[in-house]
Amino acid sequence: MTEKHLSSQFDSDLNGVSSQLMEMGGLVETQIQRAIAALANFSTALAEEVVETEEKVDAMEVAIDRALTSVVARRQPAARDLRLLLAISKITTNLERTGDEAHKIAWRVKSIVASGEARKMPIGDLRVASDLAAGLIHRALDAFARLDVAAAMSILKEDDLIDCEFKGFTRKLVTYMMEDPRTISSSLDLLFIAKAVERIGDHAKNVAEFIIYIVNGTDVRHSSLTRIESLVR
Amino acid sequence: MSPPIFRLASLLFCVGTGALAGLAWRTEIPGAFSGALVWFALDSWRALRLTGWLQRLRKDPSAPPPRLDRLRGEVAERIQRLLRKQAREAAEHENRLRNLQLALQALPNGVVILDEAGRIEWCNRAAREHFGLDEQRDVAQFVTHLLRSPALVQSLAAQDFDEAVTLESPFSTVARPQRLEVRFFPYGQGRLLMLSRDITVIEQAEAMRRDFVANVSHEIRTPLTVLAGFVETLQTLPLGEEERRDFLERMARQAARMKNLVDDLLTLSRIEGGSPPDTREWTPVRTLLQRLDADGRALSAHVSGPDAPRHELVFEGLGTEAEIAGSASELQSALFNLVNNAIRYTPPGGRIVVGWALLPDGGARFSVRDSGPGIAPEHLPRLTERFYRIDADRSRGGTGLGLAIVKHVAQRHDAALAIDSAPGQGACFSLSFPASRIREGKPGNSATDA
Ligand SMILES: Nc1ncnc2c1ncn2[C@@H]1O[C@H](COP(=O)(O)OP(=O)(O)O)[C@@H](O)[C@H]1O
Ligand SMILES: [Mg+2]
Repeated sequence: MTEKHLSSQFDSDLNGVSSQLMEMGGLVETQIQRAIAALANFSTALAEEVVETEEKVDAMEVAIDRALTSVVARRQPAARDLRLLLAISKITTNLERTGDEAHKIAWRVKSIVASGEARKMPIGDLRVASDLAAGLIHRALDAFARLDVAAAMSILKEDDLIDCEFKGFTRKLVTYMMEDPRTISSSLDLLFIAKAVERIGDHAKNVAEFIIYIVNGTDVRHSSLTRIESLVR
Repeated sequence: MSPPIFRLASLLFCVGTGALAGLAWRTEIPGAFSGALVWFALDSWRALRLTGWLQRLRKDPSAPPPRLDRLRGEVAERIQRLLRKQAREAAEHENRLRNLQLALQALPNGVVILDEAGRIEWCNRAAREHFGLDEQRDVAQFVTHLLRSPALVQSLAAQDFDEAVTLESPFSTVARPQRLEVRFFPYGQGRLLMLSRDITVIEQAEAMRRDFVANVSHEIRTPLTVLAGFVETLQTLPLGEEERRDFLERMARQAARMKNLVDDLLTLSRIEGGSPPDTREWTPVRTLLQRLDADGRALSAHVSGPDAPRHELVFEGLGTEAEIAGSASELQSALFNLVNNAIRYTPPGGRIVVGWALLPDGGARFSVRDSGPGIAPEHLPRLTERFYRIDADRSRGGTGLGLAIVKHVAQRHDAALAIDSAPGQGACFSLSFPASRIREGKPGNSATDA
């Protein structure tokens, strides 16, 4: 954003909203990291922290919406600036949902710990997927800060990896449940966690799509990868 | 003649020549006037050459000055000298700046320079590795847009730089965590220097130390609690002779357990802190094995109880004349820990083979093989951790420090500890010594040493 708008008051408005968005992104990233750590260590304390911070994420969404409304009303932006503001609004929604998913993971971790079956559960594979998902969100936010279309494209390509992990993991859980019916309730919890991880990957993908929209002005939602590649080129 | 007077003289000369030439036609006034005009044209032409040269200088700082009159010649020369001096100084500055940047690049700590608005102005290699910054693209980027840790954003927003901020590196994963410590130093007018360092190893060491202290306290506390309980019972309840003896026996067992723990801790701290064992001290292997034989049989009788069958203890290579370079007491302690484990974890009646064999490469291997329950693969990598026990039931085993001691002694003697086991297959613990530490002793050597 820095090269185009340098001096005006409007630019400082835009930078302000961007900074707010990035701050919210940082908070959501921490939420994901904590939720993953809570899962890896079966730590109720960490899960509790995630649950408590959830409110803050919601509050930031509201604050960004308000700031956006005010900028649009006062400045009546056009073209790329308008796209940027629209995209920020959409990305905010996606980040808020990502925060929700982290919250869900934390909540399920608490339920697994309470069941006492924690040590038996196959969380190793889930760790790979959750690290992947956290990495995607991180890179999506980096790509927004740099308005980096190439990085956004690479995120679109990698989301499939998580989907693959998710399918494999589901199969594995089913065999677990069949072998030992006592683990069914914990297995279901894990299934929901896996689903949440998969959704985080999807949100990262959405954020990446909006970055392409800001820079190129093309709406690439619901398009196939090859089509997006030809549009971006 | 100084330049201004020369200039005046040349003007007068032109005017005079014009006037003289005019005299012939009685037009000395217009003559003088045109003389002045000629002078003016000449003068302007030279001025133009000078400015033209100045213009050229911009593109090519080494462009030679044109031929000029004295006044302008001197001006040109001075300008040229000034420019050369400036260029020299600029080069020097540049050089100094480059050296400074190279020094900052070489720092193992991350350095990021931020402008008044919190935008990245420059960063060194370590900072790029810590935060995944891109040297070219991220210049002029707001630092909080890329380093989004809430703690860091907060500290920047509040301009609160007293305390360091710790955060996770973007490359951190659950399996391989990477933690960073970031500090801000304000300087100049509202500018910031940001330093970062990798504290993953420091934090891990600190966590290990905390765990260790917690473990030791717990291990000492448990037998103490039991002991105190018995003491209290003895003090308050009238007991029969039979019960009294039973209680005292249990108390003695707890006391022995505590003593073992303290002994092992002392051994561990001695070999950890001590200087490496003297390589000129040669210990006859036969002496080590003989003592193991005696101690092992005594232990087997002790743990099996009076009625149960003893372990079948077999020693191979008792006749060896070989010697090991290193501390006799440390080696004895390590080997006995292995025999001790084999006896404790193998049910009475089981078979334990203690072997000594020279290897083809001139080294030698000491091994303890048992017919016990064996060890599941997931425990193998952790067995040598302090206080790591497979069975939570602490009554059977020892202190949990045995294999930690073995590992340390092995390291100090350049030996490799190998554990070969599977559930139901028994276990084989072996120590392999390199050739440099083994020598074939002369017969009779052991007698003088023993
Ligand atoms: N020969 C063996 N067979 C089976 N398990 C063993 C054997 N040796 C060691 N172990 C396992 O390794 C753990 C660690 O051994 P060690 O460090 O000597 O501590 P401990 O004081 O408990 O013996 C033991 O608690 C035991 O579970
Ligand atoms: Mg032991």
